[in-house]
Amino acid sequence: MSSGAPQEISNYPTLSGHGKAMLDFMAEHPSAPTFRNQSGNRLLDHEVAELREFEQKHIHQPITWTPGLIPDWLRQFIAHVFTHVPYYRALGSAPQQFTDIPTISRADLAADIAAFVPDTVPLERLINFRTTGTTGHPMLIASHPVVAARYLTFHKRALLLNGIRLRHGRGQVGVVLVGFQQRCFTYTSVTPTMDDSGLAKINLHVDDWREPEDRARYLDALAPEVMTGDPLSFAELAKLELTNLPRALISVSMAMSAGMRQMLETRFRCPVLDIYSLNEVGPVAVYDAAVGGHLLLQPELYVEVLDSNDQPVEAGQRGEICLSGGFNFCMPLLRYRTGDFAAMASSVKGPMLLDLAGRSPVRFQTRTGAWVNNIDITHALQALPLPQYGFHQRADGSCVIRLAASVMYLAEDARQALAGLFDIRQLTVETIMTDNKILQYTSDLEGAYS
Amino acid sequence: MDNIGPILETLTHRLANIPPDFLDEPRMAKSNKGVGVAALVNDVLRMLGNATPLDNLERFDGMDAGKDRNRLALTMITAWLLADEWFIRAALPAAQFMTILEQTVAELAAATAAHKFTSDPDRREELARVVLARLNYRPEGESLAQATDRLSSISGMERRRLVEASRAAEQRARAIREALAKKAAEESADKWTRE
Repeated sequence: MSSGAPQEISNYPTLSGHGKAMLDFMAEHPSAPTFRNQSGNRLLDHEVAELREFEQKHIHQPITWTPGLIPDWLRQFIAHVFTHVPYYRALGSAPQQFTDIPTISRADLAADIAAFVPDTVPLERLINFRTTGTTGHPMLIASHPVVAARYLTFHKRALLLNGIRLRHGRGQVGVVLVGFQQRCFTYTSVTPTMDDSGLAKINLHVDDWREPEDRARYLDALAPEVMTGDPLSFAELAKLELTNLPRALISVSMAMSAGMRQMLETRFRCPVLDIYSLNEVGPVAVYDAAVGGHLLLQPELYVEVLDSNDQPVEAGQRGEICLSGGFNFCMPLLRYRTGDFAAMASSVKGPMLLDLAGRSPVRFQTRTGAWVNNIDITHALQALPLPQYGFHQRADGSCVIRLAASVMYLAEDARQALAGLFDIRQLTVETIMTDNKILQYTSDLEGAYS
Repeated sequence: MDNIGPILETLTHRLANIPPDFLDEPRMAKSNKGVGVAALVNDVLRMLGNATPLDNLERFDGMDAGKDRNRLALTMITAWLLADEWFIRAALPAAQFMTILEQTVAELAAATAAHKFTSDPDRREELARVVLARLNYRPEGESLAQATDRLSSISGMERRRLVEASRAAEQRARAIREALAKKAAEESADKWTRE
């Protein structure tokens, strides 16, 4: 059920004969869904070669910087940014102290993305990624086909940490990106650095398929080496009767509880990688149960944890994650406050983020009158396989847990898990009525937000 | 430039040898670090024999690094220049100094990194000549014609270059917005994960 005319020339400039056969196979399979869009890798010959070099350099490179000690590559990066990026040029000379560089946030990027694109970037092949998030400013991210393709290096790095080396290539499907929304961007492509292995971005929503059973038939036919998605789409995927299981699942864009990860690992008999990834900078860190935190993935992405005055917090303290560097040469960022929160720590496997949570912290008042952080709620519900949940405290102190309809059978378990913190008689459970992501922690109580 | 001022080199030399403290970061509202520029301006005005109500100095409190940092950095450099013995002896009215620190500095800082006015010989000369000219002085040893010609040469050429650069920057920003708005840009490219 392919739609629209093929656009091989612009979307797949290096397409091989077997790559073309792969595209045909994915689009024309009798159980294929409606592919609503067209896209591709858009990579040129020399870029494919450069990507292989990029991967060689970054896939094993240890992360050697330590908090407070600015690495040499970052000094060069700062000089480049203050010379070539209009926003930073307007600030004047680069400060001598790294921590004197003013931070920026989503609002700055949303106000005028053009000011963050270096003069050195040719515009002919600029692409964008649109991000809305569950709150905050809608944003257009300046990017490039090479930047999009560089993600794979850090996925491979994360997979290697889990003992998986990708091997699918010619005539095989490398990855299926799984969505589960009323409407989502779907298409097929090939990955030139993997000998034109197949890539399909699909939506598990039944409206995209001739019949619901086609979903499993199609995925079994594709037999992808990896499937990527988020806890919501994986919860739907887990319902399908698949014969061919992937070697790994990669989850991005939403927090994943230990219970959910364990459920998926048992169901799919493979590792489930929880990657902290942002449209602005790509994959940042991957959760590693052995060290109990998210291990950083990019050797040339400098990570700080800041207080509200833009100053680094003491080691081990929680604060806002702030990023400098990265591989998006179309939008080099310096001291970008992500709006996400964690503590930094070192581990035997490298620097990591502890207690990672999106959005500003929210405090909740317990039955004793004491305040607890939203992280305590996360910990309390950690063992339950919840793809998504919301927790809200009303102005009168009573609380609501919101769960997806598919896991309402866990409602009592969720209440009991929180009984240590809140008066269980004032703890109600509601069903999440949307397919979209929701704000996880909210409160009407005065003093909840710092 | 009707009046005779100091020898130009005394001012450019002063700029070249500015103490590092004057090149520190200007303080911004949300930070407790850096130099309080309003207090610095107040000190210099007092040295120059003028006092000004603190309300007049609000403009020197940095609110937003993106908008204020470079201007305040140049304010600090210009304050150092104005603290030269010659300006102290000249005993000019406060309003004239304030015009320099507010308007002239803002104009120069709009397109040039402040610290270039200490590190680059041409920019040092430009700052020294512009400050003298705005106070209606010219360097000692130069005729009015010479001073006018030199100022126009060093400052005019730079300003024209900056106007061109500014125009080019606006065009580029427009081109970036147009490139990102194209349908092809929206169709994006392959990533193995979508956030």
